[in-house]
Amino acid sequence: MTGLVGRGVERVDGRAKVTGAARYAADNEVSGVLHGALVSSTVARGEITELDPSAALASPGVVAVYTHQNLPRLTVPPDFPYPKSFVPLQDARIHHNGQPVAYVVAETLEQAQEAATLVRVRYRAERPTAHLVDALDEAFLPDEFRGRPNEHVRGDAAATLDQAEVRIEREYTSPTQHHNPIEPHTTTAVWNGNSLVLHESAQGVVLARKIVADAFAAFDPRPDVRVVSRYLGGGFGAKGPTWPHTLLTAAVARQARRPVRLVLTRAQMFTMTGHRAEYRRSLRLGATRTGRLTAVVDTSTAQLSRTEHSIFNSSDSTLHLYACPNVHVRQLGVRLDLPTSSYMRSPETTAHFGLETAMDELSYEVGIDPVELRVRNLNPRLPYRGKHLLECYRLAGRAFGWARRDPRPGSMCEGEEHVGWGMATELHTYNANASTAELVVGMDGRATLRTASQDIGTGTYTVVTQVVADGLGLPLDHVTTLLGDTAFPAASISAGSSTIPSVIGPVSQAARGARDAVVAIAVADPRSPLHGVPAGDVVTEHGYLFARGDRDRRDTYRAVLSRHGRPVELTGSTRNTPGHTFGAVFVEVRVRRRLGSVRVSRVVAAYDPGRVLNHRTARGQVIGGVAWGIGFALMEHTVVDPNTARVVNPNLSTYLVPVCADVPPVEAIFVDRPDPSSNALDARGFGETPGTGVPAAIGNAIFHATGRRLRDVPFTQDRLL
Amino acid sequence: MRNFGYTVARNPADAVRFAAGTPNSTFVAGGTDLLNLMRDGAEAHDHLVDVNRLGLDGIALDGAALRIGALARMRQVAEHREVRREFPVLSQALLASASPQVRNMAAIGGNLLQRTRCGYFRDPGSPCNKRVPGSGCPAIDGYNRGHAILGGSDHCIATHPSDLAVALTALDATVHLLGPDGTRAIPITELHLLPGATPHRETARRRGELITRVDVPRTGAAARSRYLKLRDRATFEFAVVSVAAALRLDGRTVRDVRLAFGGVGTRPWRDSRVEAALRGRSLTHPAIEAAGRVLVRDAEPREGNVFKVELVQRALASVLAELGGLR
Repeated sequence: MTGLVGRGVERVDGRAKVTGAARYAADNEVSGVLHGALVSSTVARGEITELDPSAALASPGVVAVYTHQNLPRLTVPPDFPYPKSFVPLQDARIHHNGQPVAYVVAETLEQAQEAATLVRVRYRAERPTAHLVDALDEAFLPDEFRGRPNEHVRGDAAATLDQAEVRIEREYTSPTQHHNPIEPHTTTAVWNGNSLVLHESAQGVVLARKIVADAFAAFDPRPDVRVVSRYLGGGFGAKGPTWPHTLLTAAVARQARRPVRLVLTRAQMFTMTGHRAEYRRSLRLGATRTGRLTAVVDTSTAQLSRTEHSIFNSSDSTLHLYACPNVHVRQLGVRLDLPTSSYMRSPETTAHFGLETAMDELSYEVGIDPVELRVRNLNPRLPYRGKHLLECYRLAGRAFGWARRDPRPGSMCEGEEHVGWGMATELHTYNANASTAELVVGMDGRATLRTASQDIGTGTYTVVTQVVADGLGLPLDHVTTLLGDTAFPAASISAGSSTIPSVIGPVSQAARGARDAVVAIAVADPRSPLHGVPAGDVVTEHGYLFARGDRDRRDTYRAVLSRHGRPVELTGSTRNTPGHTFGAVFVEVRVRRRLGSVRVSRVVAAYDPGRVLNHRTARGQVIGGVAWGIGFALMEHTVVDPNTARVVNPNLSTYLVPVCADVPPVEAIFVDRPDPSSNALDARGFGETPGTGVPAAIGNAIFHATGRRLRDVPFTQDRLL
Repeated sequence: MRNFGYTVARNPADAVRFAAGTPNSTFVAGGTDLLNLMRDGAEAHDHLVDVNRLGLDGIALDGAALRIGALARMRQVAEHREVRREFPVLSQALLASASPQVRNMAAIGGNLLQRTRCGYFRDPGSPCNKRVPGSGCPAIDGYNRGHAILGGSDHCIATHPSDLAVALTALDATVHLLGPDGTRAIPITELHLLPGATPHRETARRRGELITRVDVPRTGAAARSRYLKLRDRATFEFAVVSVAAALRLDGRTVRDVRLAFGGVGTRPWRDSRVEAALRGRSLTHPAIEAAGRVLVRDAEPREGNVFKVELVQRALASVLAELGGLR
């Protein structure tokens, strides 16, 4: 151990990224590649009655136009990671606006795009339903999804609520949102005989391989599939599942007998992949006059599609965060004529926004400081061992200056601005998946780590390199980390903050094992200055092996292995347990009194992610998460036309996300104490924790500033007039 | 985007002659709007005439007016010292527009001719009377938060997105055009048309005509002017509501006031009745409120934009109070 773990090491792939040397999925040069362009439906519900590709086929450079009339039948992959219950271009049915209806393949991208505009499609259209408010009476309790029930009962919430001394009954809503990573979804399919290589923008190459193989299950022989995703220009959950365009590209390339590349347009990213579902939440809290929660009735309604019943707006915070003996959670759904929803950073945010706003409303109802109210209700059995959430409240509150807050709404004014302070708890449930890593220490004394997990922009290359270098006692630049390829040992998807908790265990296991193996070789080798030293007395640092008591007795990795004559190879394989990571966020807002515009002017947040493996990348997650929270609170909103169920703002010019000027300096504090219950060097999953509480904290601060309680995001200025 | 021809014009007369004689052609300067329109399929042209090298990018101030070459870039005008001193509303409107990268590229003439941000207009998969005459307007019964409360018709309620045009409208600018039949000059208030039954006709510009210059008269009011832009994020976003105001007081009495509004009208909105309600009167909160009521008297709000009726009055009050030193 050389103290590399925890240090804010700069990104090992930073130079490659800023110089353009890093090849993202669509950057790979593939000789003979054809370019694809998708034609998408302009109705939300109905049937294709006529599809005429003749003008497109006659257009220069066009090789083929594939539709439901000529594409071979694929198998619908059965498991969730393929989120849809159908594959498009297999029949004439239209399930949502923007569904692919034709796939044009041409010699150049421009030719494909132009030809796509020439495919004539006629529909028999039925009237769609686009918004929850138009079909609330059709809400139902869906069957369990991915093994999780949609109803949870503890005690008798309804009866207790009726008896409660204090009741808060409110409704909170949030709109459809889209992930919008900068890098669009892209697939390049290269067939060689029965082998298929997919260069894919994927957060999970192993799952993608399985889904693609499942889609070709009826083909004989079944293809060998390899999925490669070395770098990702952002995912946020969008690229966690595998979407139809990937399957279609593989099928089309097989038909065309040429490699085919497809890059979704920004507009297609709003209909051909997933989104965060429109959501309403009715929350009824019962409490004592002293602020103790006695009952929570939590009934949410999320958008479902006609074809699936996937619910991702987890109510975990209602179930786990606060101690309450009587809880009734129901997660209802309404089927609308929209694309399938999916998970989006951070899935809890929608539900958590309601709970953390309701807690603020309760704090005013009972006259108890919002932090104190949360402390009083803290679940003594928070589902992890180290309980440092109290420390988060204390650290962030002190740094923010919370003790100086006058709780009366409108109590702080500066010139034309109302100033408000609000806070919320942050909470995220992270996953952990069985993972394997393979480490080779070569005869040149350099190490190469391979694992089929991914770096989705969060810093996995860097942290894994740190852990390997630290475990072996090598300099960072003697370690190469290779990720994102199903040719490597199977490992976790990078979603649900699962990468670190899943892969650090096997990586450190392999590193320590390899170190011990090299030490054993050295002390057994008569040619080594360390010959005969007990293995336990050998220290490894900076590529050297030292005798602990006599540092002049030393050897090097390179010398030991070159004498040994072959590399040392070790495989690590572990499974960690999922869990929860908590934090606290405090924000200051400024509201222009007459105009209603809101500006977030200060954010302080503290977190307990267990041991922090890299302070720089962890802080990056806080800044990014806070920016997401600001976007959720103040602007993000996919506009769906109420009559056509078509997205009206499918681009970054009208789907607003925060710009730098919207995001104030963010002070990030880490408790940074090891969590021994995690086998990932005492680190828990963290990435998606920051931001979960930010929308509520902003709304709570707006209430403090103005006395106006906002319960529907985004809080655009018209809501404060 | 389909293939198109591309010609670099060497002088204004050539540019105009070439464009007038080439079917389905258009001018391109910075291209910051045009290329997006072409990529999105909202516009298709067979030929682009590049007007960047016509030498029309000067900015000059003489005794009568500020003269802005149509190919001057937004950034040049925004940062011009005399513009900032004598016409602050112009500089502020430009700096509140787009992003630094776009302002480096985009030219003044193109800025005035940029097309609406209405999502239905920009989506070739949707009907739109502006893009495909007679196909219908989904905004009227659909999503219309960004749309106009003034100047709309049953055919179109799209707003004009330019901040600069709002500021120039307040300052009574004149637009100079060069066409196949020679030059002419029109007040900026006549450049943009109301949609009526022909929303696809957006400007008074004739076929092949090129904007060569914009003149802004020097007035006492212009030097005391301000642009207030309200929008859904801090920068790089179009106006929900904006106000360009120029004010000249004599004591507390309004000697001259010029007002134009963005985000509320189907064109940069000027209503002389609003100014008349203030001119010659003492600048007080009640007087400003009365003027605001005049502004929205004919407003036709829709479900999504009804808030603009109130917001534009508050924005007007805010900007006049600031310019007039009212508390």
